[in-house]
Amino acid sequence: MRNRRLVLLGAAILVCLVLLTVQSRGHGSRAADGLALVTTPIQTVFAKVHRSAFGVWATYQDWKGVRAENRRLREEVERLRVEGLRVSETTEENRRLRELLELRERLPLATLPGEVIAREWGGWVRSLTVNRGRGDQVTRLTAVISPDGLIGRVVDVRPGASIVQVLTDPASTVGAHVVRTRTQGIVEGDARGTMRLKFMARDGAAIEVGDVVVTSGLGGQFPRGIPVGRVRAIDNRGSALFHYAVLTPAVDFSRIDEVLLVTGETSDDVAALFRTREGR
Amino acid sequence: MRTLLALTIFGGGIASAAVTPALRIGDVVPDLPLIIVVLLALRRGPEFGCVGGFVTGLLQDAASGGLMGVQALTKSVIGFAIGALGGRLTVTQPLVQVPGLVLLSIAEGLARFAILQLFRFPAPFGELLTYVVLPQALYNGFLGAALVLALTWAESFRAPAS
Repeated sequence: MRNRRLVLLGAAILVCLVLLTVQSRGHGSRAADGLALVTTPIQTVFAKVHRSAFGVWATYQDWKGVRAENRRLREEVERLRVEGLRVSETTEENRRLRELLELRERLPLATLPGEVIAREWGGWVRSLTVNRGRGDQVTRLTAVISPDGLIGRVVDVRPGASIVQVLTDPASTVGAHVVRTRTQGIVEGDARGTMRLKFMARDGAAIEVGDVVVTSGLGGQFPRGIPVGRVRAIDNRGSALFHYAVLTPAVDFSRIDEVLLVTGETSDDVAALFRTREGR
Repeated sequence: MRTLLALTIFGGGIASAAVTPALRIGDVVPDLPLIIVVLLALRRGPEFGCVGGFVTGLLQDAASGGLMGVQALTKSVIGFAIGALGGRLTVTQPLVQVPGLVLLSIAEGLARFAILQLFRFPAPFGELLTYVVLPQALYNGFLGAALVLALTWAESFRAPAS
């Protein structure tokens, strides 16, 4: 048994040495050809297996690469989307500030720019907090405007901030008139967050939907001609003394970020200095 | 035994051809046939190791396009030696398996280098040792140990059933 094993080992070594010697003496081609007859078919099978396995492996690697790239591109898209939002936000802010500046330059009265830092939208009270206060010489009842029109009036002044009662606040009242018919009335806010023009029936027969309502300037609180809203519907109360016109505010109070506080006074009609928003 | 040997050689060759590309790390490819020859020689004895080593080595020589007989010689000797010593070696511990296979792979590399030198084939010793033999030996060591563990684990499942 032991001898058989040694013979086997010796035979293997001998065959190898013969093969090597034949090859090293330049007669290797015949031996190689003979061996190739046996090894080539096996090699072909192995090569096919290798190729298909390598193909599967390469496909797997590609798939892994595509997944990683997909993840990277998703992150890139997300980053660019945030960047785009930031840019559009900055552009929008820039546009609003430019409009505010243009209005400030056009108006024949002293104004103070301010930024909205808080909103109270509960229903009981509708107000904005502006970052201008006692230190900026803001006083109670100062009118607050935007390039679109009247926002409201300051009702409370604090150090560094003021509370602005917006026109839709249930307690807000502003003297106003309809531009086309000169019908006088009072713009009131209500708890639903809308506002209406209360006018005497005998004066307001000609009011139509779409008419523009501006401040009347009576009472001296607000300059004359600041846009307040546009008539959306008319509430005809028959023989009642007062009728009402439901108004769409000139200003979108929920989206206002920058304001002008009117610190000076003027007797001029400023209606022409404001843009009128169509289709609202 | 002959059927098992043929199956081992052919199956091992196919497995080697299929799995080797997936196991490649950088430029280092494990010598799967050597690991298989060693593992089988430990279980089946020196004859199996010698014949298995000879045939797989010859096939590797034929596939590599180098001098035919070099790997056949080294692997048949290693297969025989491991098969003969198998009973006296404690190869169930990874602490033995890893260094054992590393040393065997280095020995096989050195033997291959010596044969090439003997038959006047130029081969730079330092570079071969640094970039081919040692990395492959380390890889063989860890891969072989993993294979042994996997086999032991598989057998532990089979044992209660039988």
